Amino acid sequence: MNTFAVNYGNLFSITIPETILEVVSLLVLVVDLGFLRKSTQPARMTAACVLGVIGSVLAGLWLLTHSGTASFAGDALVLNSLVAAAQIGILLLTALVLLLSFQAEFSRNPGEYVAIVLLATTGMMLVAAARDLLVIFVALELLSLSLYVLAAFAKSSALSSEAALKYYLFGGMSAALMLFGFSYLYGLTGTTNLNGIAVSLASQGLSPLVVVAMVLVAAGLGFKVAAVPFHLWAPDTYQGAPAPVAALIASGSKVASFAVLVAVTGSLIPAASASRGATWIVLLVWMAGASILLGNLAALAQTSVRRLLAYSAIAHAGYMLLGIAANTPQSGAAVFYYALTYALTTVGAFGVIAVVERNMGSDRFDAFAGLSRRNPLLAASMLIFLLSLAGIPPLVGFWAKFNLFAAVLRAPGVGAWGLGMVIFALAASAVSLYYYLQVLKRVYVVPAMTDEPMAVSALEQLVLLVIALLVALLGIFPSALSGWIPLG
Amino acid sequence: MTPPMIAGSASLMATWLAQESNGSFSPAFVDGASSTIAHVLWLIPAIPMVAAGLIALLKQPRRAAAAGLAITGLAASLILSIIAFVHVLGVWGSGAATREAVTFNWFDLGATHMQMGWLLDPLAAVMLVMVTFVGLLIFIYSTGYMAEDENFTRFFCFLSLFAGGMLGVIISNSILLLFMCWEIVGLTSYLLIGFWYHKPSAAAAAKKAFLTTRVGDIFFLLGIVWLFAQTGTTLFYNYGSGAIEPNALAALLQQPAAWGLSAATAIGLLIFAGAAGKSGQLPLHVWLPDAMEGPTPVSALIHAATMVAAGVYLVARVYPLMSAGASAGGSTVSLTTVAWVGALTALFGSLVAVAQNDIKRILAYSTVSQLGYMMVGLAVGGVAIGMFHLITHAFFKALLFLGAGSVIHGCHEEQDIRRMGGLRHEMPRTFYAYLAGMLALSGFPLFSGFWSKDAIIGSAFHWPLSKGPFVLLIIGALLTAFYMMRQVGYVFFGPWRGHGHPHESPSVMTVPLSILAVFAIFLGFLGTPAWPWFASFIQGEPLKFEAAWYAEPNLMPLMGLAIVLVLLGLGAGWLLYVRRNVTRPASAPVHHHAQEHGDEPQHEAGDLVDVLEGAAPTVWSWLANRLYFDELYAATVIRWYAMLAWLSDWLDRRVWGGIVAMVAAAFRGLGWTNKTVDSQLIDGAFDKTCEELVTSGGVLAWLQADRSPLYLRVLTVGALVLAGIALVVATATGQVRL
Repeated sequence: MNTFAVNYGNLFSITIPETILEVVSLLVLVVDLGFLRKSTQPARMTAACVLGVIGSVLAGLWLLTHSGTASFAGDALVLNSLVAAAQIGILLLTALVLLLSFQAEFSRNPGEYVAIVLLATTGMMLVAAARDLLVIFVALELLSLSLYVLAAFAKSSALSSEAALKYYLFGGMSAALMLFGFSYLYGLTGTTNLNGIAVSLASQGLSPLVVVAMVLVAAGLGFKVAAVPFHLWAPDTYQGAPAPVAALIASGSKVASFAVLVAVTGSLIPAASASRGATWIVLLVWMAGASILLGNLAALAQTSVRRLLAYSAIAHAGYMLLGIAANTPQSGAAVFYYALTYALTTVGAFGVIAVVERNMGSDRFDAFAGLSRRNPLLAASMLIFLLSLAGIPPLVGFWAKFNLFAAVLRAPGVGAWGLGMVIFALAASAVSLYYYLQVLKRVYVVPAMTDEPMAVSALEQLVLLVIALLVALLGIFPSALSGWIPLG
Repeated sequence: MTPPMIAGSASLMATWLAQESNGSFSPAFVDGASSTIAHVLWLIPAIPMVAAGLIALLKQPRRAAAAGLAITGLAASLILSIIAFVHVLGVWGSGAATREAVTFNWFDLGATHMQMGWLLDPLAAVMLVMVTFVGLLIFIYSTGYMAEDENFTRFFCFLSLFAGGMLGVIISNSILLLFMCWEIVGLTSYLLIGFWYHKPSAAAAAKKAFLTTRVGDIFFLLGIVWLFAQTGTTLFYNYGSGAIEPNALAALLQQPAAWGLSAATAIGLLIFAGAAGKSGQLPLHVWLPDAMEGPTPVSALIHAATMVAAGVYLVARVYPLMSAGASAGGSTVSLTTVAWVGALTALFGSLVAVAQNDIKRILAYSTVSQLGYMMVGLAVGGVAIGMFHLITHAFFKALLFLGAGSVIHGCHEEQDIRRMGGLRHEMPRTFYAYLAGMLALSGFPLFSGFWSKDAIIGSAFHWPLSKGPFVLLIIGALLTAFYMMRQVGYVFFGPWRGHGHPHESPSVMTVPLSILAVFAIFLGFLGTPAWPWFASFIQGEPLKFEAAWYAEPNLMPLMGLAIVLVLLGLGAGWLLYVRRNVTRPASAPVHHHAQEHGDEPQHEAGDLVDVLEGAAPTVWSWLANRLYFDELYAATVIRWYAMLAWLSDWLDRRVWGGIVAMVAAAFRGLGWTNKTVDSQLIDGAFDKTCEELVTSGGVLAWLQADRSPLYLRVLTVGALVLAGIALVVATATGQVRL
């Protein structure tokens, strides 16, 4: 195993954004528990969220103003334009989630809530930057443990406890499998560095043990992105977790997980035999196919909007896995674009759900009935989000799908199989339109039970409108975002 | 005294030097293609281990099954060992010597391959036959000796496991594999010494044995790691690239360690430290006499014939490393150390044995002493000479221990020789067998010990560096004859001084004795100066008859000296302990004393005062107390540890504990302040928390009946299905060959 001179100054300069988040998270605790103990609940929540947003913005600004590449300890952590883009995206999503948390009433400990959100964000950023098995694992655990805690944050809600416990049990087992796979990879290659693993696997070829290691790694990362058959936690967790937390799990966590999946894919496919038949690709394609099929079909049967979004998330993970399996720089960029825009849209959708839940006490279809009359702006936002998720032009979801499938088809050597998979995915996304329209039908067609307006704070309204505008504008000017995403 | 053997070892040395100069492989050993028997050699240790596993599953009352499994297993190993031995013999007959290594990859870590394997060569073949044969006899004997024990099943489980470990040590071609088996052997030794763990002395002895040998094992492990770090392999022989083959040795000799020693020497010394722990060499001998707390068959098998010989075998196995870099006719630092340690141990053991009164302790110190002889034999005469004494000793010492067991059994578990006497009438078969063992150990002419011990003494005389070991050894030889005669005088001659009525043991015990006696008498003829069969076989040289053996300089005088010494020792013993007719003082009544621990209760009412003790009480008490080695250790090492432990405990309780208590108190004070400020709020929060806990509990209970386990099962099945798909696809596309 190679040893690298560890330069801590270098480490610090790479992780300044993470450090900012850590400092702010401690600051939030100090302010909330030290100075604001006697304040009212909303005031504490507002203060904590404002601090959190400021921290995220500061970290994001640092990343925007410091371009260039750097790496630490032989590429254990890297910072390049792609990683920076992913991290900026994650920070943006966190800031949006925090902005939508101002009105949240699920917790009496706003300081802790925001601090853990920031810790989870740190985990996501490290996951996106890690290129070493051990660092990946530690970062993923930081992320996962924070999310387990967050999922259980509504302590008085039985559903929240259940969601957290299921998420935790499932996550713990997947992490164990993945770590086992990592240990195999290390044993087989003698290194934990992704580049080193790629070199070693290319020279030693494939053995049954490598295949087993790949499957175990796929189990761990499949859990993070909620791909079939490692998806079972998703519906319960999306349903039970507090709405902002569910948004975070569905957005930032997904972006980070796909970023690391792209990196791992690069190292598990031997360069020499980058054929379409490489085992890792076969695994990804099978998981993708199963996810697209199961996600879309199961979503049809849901009556809870949160569960519906969970199954649709599984389907979306399937599309993105297809893109990763194509394994070209273009497809990697397309996946990244997809993940980022999908996450943005999902945060918006969960924002709407949070408002509806707060007013109606439920996220079932009938709670959405007549939304257009009770709050037209909210209804319009929801319309944009769901249509974008369904991939209707000219919204950003359409471009994301278009880019992704085009990149898959353009990848060298995909052949009839690739074409078949793309057609299958397109057909499935046509199915998805049906269940998204089921929700929109409640929003626009079904009459409301009451006509009293849906109470929503000005800030929420504003944030949701901004997100909706982004989704629409990025769809109309797709190059605004795609030009900014570097090729992997 | 034994010219062919000297010549043999010299030629071995010459061969080695020749290898060093031209880098070619030893002409005597041919690394042939592995034969079938070499490929299945692993079965020899595996069968007893499997038997042990099966016995462990048996319930306690299944005695017959347990004994049957153990004996069948070892018998199968014996048959395989004999086949292997005959195979080696056959190759030797055709003019070559086998060294067949079977190697397998244990695991790969990146570019590092960890290889293991086993080895069939004359050394291993001889040891295999000896261990399985002696072991089998002792297993059979044990069915009689342990017949009354309620933990009979467990006993055979341990015995089988031990046999497996020991056989593993013998066939290992990897020093790491050898170490693993070595540790199995150490574990079973611990378990068997402490077999009667309800006796505090047995539990203490087991612990002592384990900890003392562990001291040696730490050095041994250091040596292994160092050897692996330097050579990159743990294999002994690997067709030129093994760790103790010329290429690696040349590199090791170039590598400086410290104090002017080469790495080869330093590693050799570390490995010898491990061997010294296992083989009871000074200063790590203290555990071996205490180990006699175990059942007597255990003493015979483990602490006389086999396990303690493992250290000697280890030195023989790594002999090329030990002797690497020897100048012509000279010795190496490692071998010189071995010679001196061995010689001092030999004298020490025989001195202390003179003043012991426990029949098994006398034999234990005798074992310590004889192991010293073997070490000297290896160091000054080469592998063949040390190993020959190991083999003959294994037979006659097993015989003596089993004979002692028979005596103890016949005297109703009495072990003190002062409370025995005249047993030659009551136990004639045991007596004659014991006599054969005793004469062999003393080195009486023509008995097996005579030939093997004389070869060692002769080599020591010719050792160029010093005559010191030679002098120590001949004094030891004199004492050996003396203490054995003393023991036999006490036990078998004179009137019966014990309690109750002694009786002869059953045939299941005496038949193995008789078989061993035959070997104790005749085995030595395999290694006479005129016909050095054993040495030739071990060294893989053609067998020849030395017609002019008597013409070798110094041979006849040395042999004469040895005979005179033996007769002198036996005669002195006869005069002091048989002719004088040791009897119990008429005035004192006999009491039966359970011997609680080895610290000799010197003068219990009714016990005899030894003639020598009367003559020189001070010297006697030093010897009877084993030169106060145990007391020395108790006053130094053990005391230091106790002080360290006390200090740590004190730090934990007072210092760290105090800090923790202070912090806790500070926080408690803070909490109290808070409480007085807003007790209402905290009270309210507490009630709410309780409510939440109750709610969560309800949720958890509901969950348990829910589908979480199913989810996890689906996760696992999903991973398995994916693995299946991946493997099928990878196989179908030719990326993986299953």
